[in-house]
Amino acid sequence: MCRAHVGIWVLQWTGRVPLLLLLVLSMSQPVFAQVDITGLWRPMPRNQDGSGMTGDAAGVPLTPEGQWRGQSWSPEDFDTAEWVCRPHAFDYSLEGPLTAMRIWAEMDRPSQRVISYGAHLNQQEQETTIYMDGRPRPPANALHTWSGFSTGEWDGDVLVVTTTHLKETYIRRSGLMRSDQATVRTRWRRMGNYLQATSILYDPVNFAEPYMRTALMWINDPALVESPYPCEEATETAVPRGDVAHFLPGQSPLPGLNPNLADRFGTPYEARLGGPATTYPEYITRMKTLPRPATTAPAGAAEN
Amino acid sequence: MSQLQRKCSPGSRLTLLWIPAIACLAMLGLTEQVSTQANQNRASRMWAPALAGAAPGEIQVLPVQGNVHVLIGAGGNITVQAGADGVLMVDTGNAAMSAKVIAAMRSILSRPLRYIVNTTDRAEHTGGNSAIADVGETIPFREPNYTAGPQGALDVGRASIIAYYTVMHRMSAPTGKAAPIPESGWPDNTYSIAQKRLYFNDEPVVIMHLTANSDGNSIVLFRKSDVVSAGDLLDLTGYPVIDLAGGGTIETMVNSLNRLIDVVVPRANAAGGTMVIPGHGRIADHAEVVYYRDMMTIVRDRVQDLIKKGMTLDQVKAARPTRDWDARYGRDTGDWTTSMFVEAVYQSLKK
Repeated sequence: MCRAHVGIWVLQWTGRVPLLLLLVLSMSQPVFAQVDITGLWRPMPRNQDGSGMTGDAAGVPLTPEGQWRGQSWSPEDFDTAEWVCRPHAFDYSLEGPLTAMRIWAEMDRPSQRVISYGAHLNQQEQETTIYMDGRPRPPANALHTWSGFSTGEWDGDVLVVTTTHLKETYIRRSGLMRSDQATVRTRWRRMGNYLQATSILYDPVNFAEPYMRTALMWINDPALVESPYPCEEATETAVPRGDVAHFLPGQSPLPGLNPNLADRFGTPYEARLGGPATTYPEYITRMKTLPRPATTAPAGAAEN
Repeated sequence: MSQLQRKCSPGSRLTLLWIPAIACLAMLGLTEQVSTQANQNRASRMWAPALAGAAPGEIQVLPVQGNVHVLIGAGGNITVQAGADGVLMVDTGNAAMSAKVIAAMRSILSRPLRYIVNTTDRAEHTGGNSAIADVGETIPFREPNYTAGPQGALDVGRASIIAYYTVMHRMSAPTGKAAPIPESGWPDNTYSIAQKRLYFNDEPVVIMHLTANSDGNSIVLFRKSDVVSAGDLLDLTGYPVIDLAGGGTIETMVNSLNRLIDVVVPRANAAGGTMVIPGHGRIADHAEVVYYRDMMTIVRDRVQDLIKKGMTLDQVKAARPTRDWDARYGRDTGDWTTSMFVEAVYQSLKK
């Protein structure tokens, strides 16, 4: 090849190659899809679902039976000796307590493929493993845990995690429960220094429809420090050992279940009871037709 | 530039055009391969994933912790503790599954079966007693040909069956009357105090009597393995079968679940640590026992409240005091329905 041709070729393709490469890149998203999600992640403030009023279930697709369960909950549940060390389970922690998170990868050295991702939440030291190696799920009769058993697959640049083998736990700290039959699908997406999670919770026991949460965001923070968070089983608590704190049907004093008390948004009482209808934008139209509670809730009626 | 172009041959110009084309094709080929993987992944993703249980008519063997396994699929769960001393089995499942239970046991360890512990008298826990004890052997107290005294009458050619004495009463019958099950399935090693203790396979085995869904329940603690076999005190597949005639009540269930919680020590965050093998359903730990206790307590309190309001049994059933757990534990058909459970709670509180 002559030197002159090389010069011309360079000049001609200097303009064309980037275009061609762009074309190829646009067709080849999966090549660049498996982004690195490891690192230290600081949670970003955001609005939680609902009004924050204790007892509120707006936006949660509870079945009527799931509503009943929530309405029997007493705040003293957290003082029950056996539950003092109950953690915010991993899937709730993503939404609830704005906790720091560390993600790391377990690599297969010869192939340099990811065997699994590990994730540690500062809040009550919850950890999970997301298996990327296609291993089968444990049998149905294996132990269920707070974090469950998770497998992950890349869907474009989104890591899709499917979690089973979960213990029953709350999805809000005022008695709204998901069952041990639930499956959680979490979609993790990194956008530069930001990490976003979309959580879809399917529970055939307490939910009429899947419960989706999208506003879960973290920012990469290499200086983030995670602290120990141990818990020692309680011996003496406000609730005597063996007692189970709860309210009988129709007798809950929780402010969210009092039709006369208004939350800070003036949410109608019907909406606060939750249910699948309250998860859809169309429900806003209905809310506008519903009476608003008139009495201002006392201080402390809301958690946030 | 044109002069320079003219000095070069057309072939070399063509060659230069091929370089980027080949590079691009190579990249496309690469992306195709990855895209194919992604498509396969999408196809294999199920919602929600199916989890493998015990196949109908088959036994699923799962390791639990330490020396202990669980056999699932024979009716009630069967606990197998295996080691140098041989095998200790807690409950024996339905009679029809005995051959498969024996095969499953031998898949864990081929040493002799020495002990069977019955946690209750129910057939799904004791039905295999006769056939399974027959393949075991008891370590003789005396020489094999010793025949004097009561010990001489022991059949050392079979495993010893341990149970609380009321279980023996229910499985047997006075002389001249028909027993519910043949004598070969009866316990031959009963106890009548708070606990019976063994040291077997290098660990303490503590058999504790609790009155739960009947007056004859035992739970078995394997102290070094840190596993409790709870029998029907814990049923993660349904509401507990409360045998009112057999001395069980909702109060005894709640009290014994609290006792079980005392025995089960979580490792961290109210979970892990001591493993619990329920009478039915999956392997559990502290948290599952507490949730089950909470449910029993709340249902008891609700039914008690309805009774205080003067409701009849039918009115209590219509009020559906278990409604928030029915999708998880309730049944409309079969041997033990939600209605029967509510009735048992009601009757035990009316006593």
